[in-house]
Amino acid sequence: MTLLVAIVAADPVRRLGLAALVTRAGHQVLESHGGADVVLADDVAVCSDGPPVVALGVAEAGQAGLLPCDATAAQIDAAIRSVAAGLIVRAADPRRPGFRAIGDEEAPLLTPREIEVLAAIGNGLSNKAVARQLGISLHTMKFHVEALLRKLGASKPSSRTTTS
Amino acid sequence: MQDTLAQLSDALVERAAVAQGFVIGIRGTQFQPRSGTLWRADVAVASEQVAPKTEEAEIVLADGRVAQARVAGRDRGTNVVAFRLQQPVEVDLPAAVEPRLGAFALVFGADGGGGTIVRMGVVRALGPAWHSLGGGRIDHRISLDLTISSAEEGGPVLDASGGLLGMSTAGPRGRALVIPAATIERVLTPLLTAGRVERGWLGLALHPVALPEAITAEGGQGRGLMVMRVSRDGPAGKAGVLAGDILVSVGGAPTGHPGDVARQLGPESVGQTIELRLIRSGSVLTLAAMVTAHLAR
Repeated sequence: MTLLVAIVAADPVRRLGLAALVTRAGHQVLESHGGADVVLADDVAVCSDGPPVVALGVAEAGQAGLLPCDATAAQIDAAIRSVAAGLIVRAADPRRPGFRAIGDEEAPLLTPREIEVLAAIGNGLSNKAVARQLGISLHTMKFHVEALLRKLGASKPSSRTTTS
Repeated sequence: MQDTLAQLSDALVERAAVAQGFVIGIRGTQFQPRSGTLWRADVAVASEQVAPKTEEAEIVLADGRVAQARVAGRDRGTNVVAFRLQQPVEVDLPAAVEPRLGAFALVFGADGGGGTIVRMGVVRALGPAWHSLGGGRIDHRISLDLTISSAEEGGPVLDASGGLLGMSTAGPRGRALVIPAATIERVLTPLLTAGRVERGWLGLALHPVALPEAITAEGGQGRGLMVMRVSRDGPAGKAGVLAGDILVSVGGAPTGHPGDVARQLGPESVGQTIELRLIRSGSVLTLAAMVTAHLAR
């Protein structure tokens, strides 16, 4: 089932990634709240008297869906569908990760192309400028950004990295 | 004559009675009750990841006696918090035994009201030494076929002979792991004298990357660790490492996984100069960093 999803995000790059992710999950991304089935809020507080909200990275009681900011694409899609169906979604005990090995949850490898995209974004270039510099289409560029967000755990790009 | 099942049960009852001599409850007014192990007459250990943040706690023995204790040291790397008891109590901790795959494991904890709880499982997986996310070296990877709650972890784990395997710890999804007795003994010395365990630190946040083919062909290594963040005042930052560099070896050992770096940064690495090989702009660069102890962990 296709749902109409409005996305509110503090970070524009992150919004881009989330929009790509939501579209790939078979939903339609809206520019405004009007008529949305579900609001996906990333790192921003959204008032909850409109459509049900899936909030990423903010712990706000009262929202139908609460996920950590490094939620996977599958979790975000499942949460969108669940809150649209009137259910409440919570991640399983995020405060109790357990004692674990370094690199236990194997951090996904970045490919050489993704490294180039990351470096270009890091230099402060716009998406268009990055695409031009690397000789790829804006669409391909968005695809790389989406993969990067997925692999790095998104707006906090270091959340899946290991400190030594 | 009793059948084998009743004999097994009786043997377990006996083990539990012995364990009550060193399984303890840890309580205070400002935190949830926890479990722990009386390790020496004046030292108790517990699970650091669920330990109270306060400095003082009451140690409740299985016979109901209460001893006042202070935190002597914490080590996130091996998940050990050590308490010093103000008044020593008698304790007869069994000798440590080598873990064996498939062996019975008896897991003890405290229930918060002064009572002892018991769980039984087997050693479901056994592996060599490993490094925790906090950088600590754990001498064996011992995982059990049961889950454990935050209130229960920190107690002793015995094998069928009554020998000590170590301290229970909740791993991912609450699965019980055992921190081996040898690991606890090793970290207790620095914990009791200095309050912490020093480990080497470079001041880098790293993420695994696939190396470009040209470099793979030259160096024979398919993976590296990309520097995502550098602590400006950290050893790597001072040595000239920049975000975006790809770390390919530390101290001559190839680094394809974060654990490869942790292995080079044990307590003995502090104060040593270590060679970092990096790829920057397509070429290999060698820098020397003076490893320091963790600034904050």
